[in-house]
Amino acid sequence: MKSKQIFQQYESREVLTAYLFLIPALFVIIAFVLIPVLGTFWGSLFRDVTYLPRKFIGIQNFLYVVGNADFWRALRFTLLFTVTAVILETFFGMLFALLLNETFKGRGFLRTIILIPWAIPTIVSAKVWKLIFDYTYGMLNFFVVNLGFSGGKINWLGSSFAAFWSLITAEVWKTTPFVVIILLAGLQAIPQDLYQQAKVDGAGLFKRFRTITIKLIQPVLIIALIFRTIDSLRIFDLVYVLTGGGPGGSTKPLSMLGFEMYTNDLFGKGSAVSIITFCIVFLITIVYLKTGKFRERFS
Amino acid sequence: MKEKTVKRVLMTLGAGLLTFFTLLPFIWMLLVSLSSRPDFLFSGTAQFSINNYINVLNNSSLHFLDYVKNSFIISSITAIVVTCLSSCAAYAVSRMRFPGRIIIPLFVLTMSMFPPISIVGYLYRFFSDTGMLNTPIALILPYIALTVPLSLWINMSYFSQIPLELDKAGLIDGAGRITILRKIILPLALPGIFSSFLLVFIACFNEFLFALMLTIDYNAQTLPVGIALFEGLHGEIPWGDLMAASAIASIPLVVLSLIFQKYIIQGLTAGAIKG
Repeated sequence: MKSKQIFQQYESREVLTAYLFLIPALFVIIAFVLIPVLGTFWGSLFRDVTYLPRKFIGIQNFLYVVGNADFWRALRFTLLFTVTAVILETFFGMLFALLLNETFKGRGFLRTIILIPWAIPTIVSAKVWKLIFDYTYGMLNFFVVNLGFSGGKINWLGSSFAAFWSLITAEVWKTTPFVVIILLAGLQAIPQDLYQQAKVDGAGLFKRFRTITIKLIQPVLIIALIFRTIDSLRIFDLVYVLTGGGPGGSTKPLSMLGFEMYTNDLFGKGSAVSIITFCIVFLITIVYLKTGKFRERFS
Repeated sequence: MKEKTVKRVLMTLGAGLLTFFTLLPFIWMLLVSLSSRPDFLFSGTAQFSINNYINVLNNSSLHFLDYVKNSFIISSITAIVVTCLSSCAAYAVSRMRFPGRIIIPLFVLTMSMFPPISIVGYLYRFFSDTGMLNTPIALILPYIALTVPLSLWINMSYFSQIPLELDKAGLIDGAGRITILRKIILPLALPGIFSSFLLVFIACFNEFLFALMLTIDYNAQTLPVGIALFEGLHGEIPWGDLMAASAIASIPLVVLSLIFQKYIIQGLTAGAIKG
C-alpha cells in the first residue's frame, strides 16, 4: 500500500524531464570532482614514480606518510592554524557584525568597505601582507623601529612563531568579512521586539546580548564556523606566497605537503597525503550537514 | 544614560578598528604601486607617478596582459556555463517531483566541500595524458565542477520563493518546462541568478591551486599565478611593479563588489542561511 502511494507521487514524464535538467550539472561534478577523488584514492595504493614501473603496494604509501615527521608537523600546523584563525575570525566577525547592525552615521560606508578584503584575490592579499612584513621595506618594521617597540627591525617571516602569526593576521584580514556578512544577516533576522521587551524588564546591554543575541544567532554562527573551518583546513595559496611553508617547513600545511610531493614526482605518496586531508575535511563536512539541518529545508 | 555612553564608546572604537583594519593594506598597496621606491617610509622621499603601471603593462616579457586576458576568458566562460547548468538543475530540484530530489542537492553540496588537493593531482595526470594541460579548457572544466554547487544552492533558494502556481498555469497553457524556466522563472529570479553569476566569476578569478598546477606558461596562466610567480631579474622583488600588478588584478573585483554589493551579500547569505 505504502510503496504504491510513493509510486503514485511521481509522474514518469516529469521525472524524466527533471533528470534531463540535472544530468549536465551532475555530469561535470562527477567527472571533475568525484572521479578525480576516487582516482586519487586508487593512485594512493600504487608506487608511482617515473624511474620505476608502477606497482600496486597496498597501504604502504600511507604507512610511509604516517611514519614521516613532516606529515605530523604539517597536520599540527594545519589544525593549529585552522583553530586559531577561526576563533579570531569569529571574535572580530561578531564584533563588526554587532557594530554594523546598529544605526549610526557612516554605517553604509563601513558596510561597503568591509567587502574589500573579501573581493581582493588571496594571492594579492598575500603579496601585500608580505610587503607589510618585509624586513627591509615593510611598514610594520617602520613602526616597530620608529615607535621604539624594539631595538631594531624584526624578521617577521624568519622565525616560526612570527611567521605563524603573520599568516594568521593575513588570513583573518581576508576572511573576517565573510563571517561579518553571514552574522549580520543572522542578526537582522532577530526581531527587535525581543530587545525592547528585555529592556522593559530591566535587562542591561550585556545581559541582552547573552540571553537574546547569542542564543538566536547560534544556528547561523555554527554554519559560518563550519564553512570557515572547512575552508581553512585546505589552506594553500596564502602560505605558498607569504611564507612558502617556511622557515624550515614550520608553516607547511597538508595541501602544500601533497603539492610538493606531486611536483617532486612522488605521485603515490602525494595521493596518500591528499586522501588523508580529504578524510579530515570529510568528517567535518558530515558534522556540517548534520548541524545545518539541510534535509529539513526541503520539507 | 550610562548604558548609552558605554555603547557609544564601544561603537566608536569598533568603527575605528574596522576602518583601519580593512583599508590599511589596500591603501598601502595603492601607495606603493604609485611610488617610485617601496621604502618611501624609511627614506622619507618618493615621487608619485603611474610609472609602475606603465612598466607592468608595457613590458611584454612579463606577459601581464596575457594573464589578464586568460583570467577574464576563463572566469567569464565558467560563470556563463555554470549559470546555465545550475539554473536547470535548480529548477528541477526546487519545482519538480522526482526520486532523489533531496539527496541530489546534498550530494552536490558534499562534493563542493572536498579539498582541492585531493582532486588536482588526478586532473594533472588526466590533462597531460589528453594533451590539454596548459590550455584554458583544463581550468574551465574543473572550475565549472567546483562552482556549480555554490550556484545551485543560491539559485535553489531564489527559485523556491516563486509560487508553484505559476508553473502549473504555464503547464496548463501547454508550455514545456524549458519555456517555463526561461519565460517565467528566470526573469523573476534574475537578482539571484546575477548574484550567483558574480560569485562564480569572482571565485574563478581568485582560484590559485588548480591554476598553478594545470598550467605551464602565459598561454593559460591566470592573474593569481602570474602575480605569485612575479620575480625580478636578480632575485630582488620589484615591489612597485608587483603592487601595480596587484592593484590591476584587484580593482575590477573591488569595483564589481562595491557596485553590486547588494547582490554579493544576498548571494553569500542565500546559500548559508535562507536555504
